[in-house]
Amino acid sequence: MKATFYFIAGWLIPGLGHLLQKKFWRGAAFFVSIGAMTAIGLMMGGKIYPLYLEKPHNPLQVIVNLFKKENPLTLLAFLADTGNLLLYAFARLFAFGEGVLERVTFEFGTAYIAGAGLLNYLVALDAFDIARGKKT
Amino acid sequence: MILRSHLLSMIIYAFFVSVVLALIRRPSKKARLKYGLFLFLTMVVGALVFGWFMYLFAR
Repeated sequence: MKATFYFIAGWLIPGLGHLLQKKFWRGAAFFVSIGAMTAIGLMMGGKIYPLYLEKPHNPLQVIVNLFKKENPLTLLAFLADTGNLLLYAFARLFAFGEGVLERVTFEFGTAYIAGAGLLNYLVALDAFDIARGKKT
Repeated sequence: MILRSHLLSMIIYAFFVSVVLALIRRPSKKARLKYGLFLFLTMVVGALVFGWFMYLFAR
């Protein structure tokens, strides 16, 4: 139960799961690294991909709609971006991270944001493992 | 607009990824430094080598 709490804390804010377990330096390093990657990605005009869903007519339609988009690969970008859960929620609430397509840095910026999200999944799982006693 | 250079963007990206992965995957300070450096060089040199390889097929 406690391990799950640290996992969710780390998922919400990079490094928080480690900070709460008194791994201060590691938590700070994760926060700075992942935070910097996200900030650079946003400054470069990268996009935080939302999950576009049409209103489903039946439960099966939910799955079908996931792949009905213009580019189904954006589903993977969405999953990567939700690695930074709090940032993703803020991006949806306050409408930032829409992406500036005309910039030459757009693709790299998007890669920075997605990479930061994927790394944060690993960091949150690391916090989970530490809480379970599998790692130090 | 920042980081117009794709090379610089790639180097900074590789640096941050190396830091995080080294901290997660290695337990001691020395092992982290060694592994982080290995990852960083692999990513940067690998991307440069692959970039030049693709240049062979450029029109």
